[in-house]
Amino acid sequence: MFTFRPLPWEYGIRNLLRRPLRTGLTLLALTTVTLLVMVVMGFVRGLDRSLAVSGDPQTAIVFSLGMGENLEYSSVPMRTADLLASSITGVRERYGQKYASPELYLGTLVRATEDAPEEMGLVRGLTPSALLVHGDVEITRGDWPRVNEVLIGRMAATKLGLSDDQVRPGRQLLFEGRTWTISGTFAAAGSTYESEIWCRLDDLQQAMKRQDLSLVALTLGPGAEFQDVDLFCKERLDLELQAIRQTDYFATLQKDYAPIRWLSWLVVALVSGAGVFIGLNTMYGAVVGRIPELATLQTIGFSRRAAILSVMQEGTVLAMTSALLASIIGYGLIHRAAVRFTMGAFELQIDSGTLLIAYGIALFLGIVGSLPPSVRMFRLSVVDGLKAV
Amino acid sequence: MALIHVNQVTKQFRKGAETITPLKEAELQIERGQFVSLMGASGTGKSTLLNLIAGIDKPTSGRIIVDGTDITRLSRTKLAAWRARNIGYIFQTHNLIPVLTAYENIELPLMLLPMNRSERRRRVEVALTAVDLVDRANHYPRQLSGGQEQRVGIARAIVTDPTVVVADEPTGDLDTETSAQILELLERLNDELDTTLLMVTHDPDAAAIAERRLKLDHGRLIEHAQAAAPAVHAGAS
Repeated sequence: MFTFRPLPWEYGIRNLLRRPLRTGLTLLALTTVTLLVMVVMGFVRGLDRSLAVSGDPQTAIVFSLGMGENLEYSSVPMRTADLLASSITGVRERYGQKYASPELYLGTLVRATEDAPEEMGLVRGLTPSALLVHGDVEITRGDWPRVNEVLIGRMAATKLGLSDDQVRPGRQLLFEGRTWTISGTFAAAGSTYESEIWCRLDDLQQAMKRQDLSLVALTLGPGAEFQDVDLFCKERLDLELQAIRQTDYFATLQKDYAPIRWLSWLVVALVSGAGVFIGLNTMYGAVVGRIPELATLQTIGFSRRAAILSVMQEGTVLAMTSALLASIIGYGLIHRAAVRFTMGAFELQIDSGTLLIAYGIALFLGIVGSLPPSVRMFRLSVVDGLKAV
Repeated sequence: MALIHVNQVTKQFRKGAETITPLKEAELQIERGQFVSLMGASGTGKSTLLNLIAGIDKPTSGRIIVDGTDITRLSRTKLAAWRARNIGYIFQTHNLIPVLTAYENIELPLMLLPMNRSERRRRVEVALTAVDLVDRANHYPRQLSGGQEQRVGIARAIVTDPTVVVADEPTGDLDTETSAQILELLERLNDELDTTLLMVTHDPDAAAIAERRLKLDHGRLIEHAQAAAPAVHAGAS
């Protein structure tokens, strides 16, 4: 008998247009807040994604004992790759080729021309077996590097502070006293490898006058376990090796970036807090000036709940419109914008997760901003509301 | 049996440290189809009585029965639903919703009743015709004169065909000529639609058009025709 009847949808919408300047300014402020939230979230998601997709649970990294997680300072004998591949049963194999990748990895100063400024680049010397172990890697332009050639990761230009044109195939890079010609570009599904410069292992060893490796990456086949690799390293004390799952290695790196992530969440909270006050200011002003009108609606027979719902509808519509605008701007301008960090470079991710969080926060702003004026209205009797000026 | 039965109704409220009692043990009965005017000086409780009968305020004690329903026992939500079906309220300051057109303002109470869009349209058109504002249907309140706004307010009050129409100083904000037109309209609605009307007014001329006139004077509710004989006890303190 007493069916709940809300106020007409048009009532709330037209009320937003009643004070166009005020609504416009609030929309602008809320859009800025939501956009800031999106940028910070995009940063966190991009960083997480970059480190998360870099690991394969079936791949183990073998490197020298006592190096912590610092692969650059690791040094293992050149023969380690063959030794591991032949000694450990269960290393994945294809057409007689073991999934064992000997790698020399270092951070070194790189520049595009003789007189250009130097930037810290991440260089990895590898053999073609790397393509077996790093299955996500895909050469998107050009070819696998030959002598004195390098293959450039998709994000390497950002890491080096160079333009795309400066890293196209045929252009040159200078590092470790040599001039290297770019043979092509590769992608690696958004992982940190995309920030690296890859070249032939023997080339890099010659350039650096080194004969050792930094690490050996091994991919195990189905049924094989990481413990087999770990056991081998612990039994062969003479080799001074240690093993870590690739996923664990990147999880450790992720942990190192935890303070940045917490700081980012703090920024989200602070920015959202500012947004709540913006919403509060607008909705409070809009409702207080309309108390007699809302009391009139109750006199006609609309319930207090319907009036409060209409106020919340206004706040929510305003906040969700700002979220929509922010997502259009964010997706158009910020999505996949490259950011440099010590481990390489990554892209801001305005993905479904970022959008979901931003829309959730916008909805929160709309609802929370409408609550205090709704509470005030709830406390006022209809008669007092009609008399309110 | 009377349509409206006000039984021993007292209303008190606090104003600072002082307790005000605009109505004390009030008694009143209004028959269906009656046009009743209620006069009195400011602060004598006219509007309080009107609001109690309209169900937007609750008495401190006593009972108010309208068309068989004891509205003093209804919850806030049920009272709102009851108002939607039974009360048409005409305000002194029109109280139209500024973002809605005249048509939409009149349609608003119908949205609370179970009826489809075409039935709503029919009823709004009948109400607009009754107040002679068909050509102003799509105008917003700011585009209407004071008299036209009040006619929209009257149309909004009668569109649901309510049990009772209450009017709180319906001509208080209007000039003499427009007031006369509004009063004539109210009189016509009472005659033609047999609407039960309770009107609060300061204006003796306005009160004079009602078939039954009540006056709140020094806390006493007096039937105009009965001179000093008290119909109701009311108190102001």
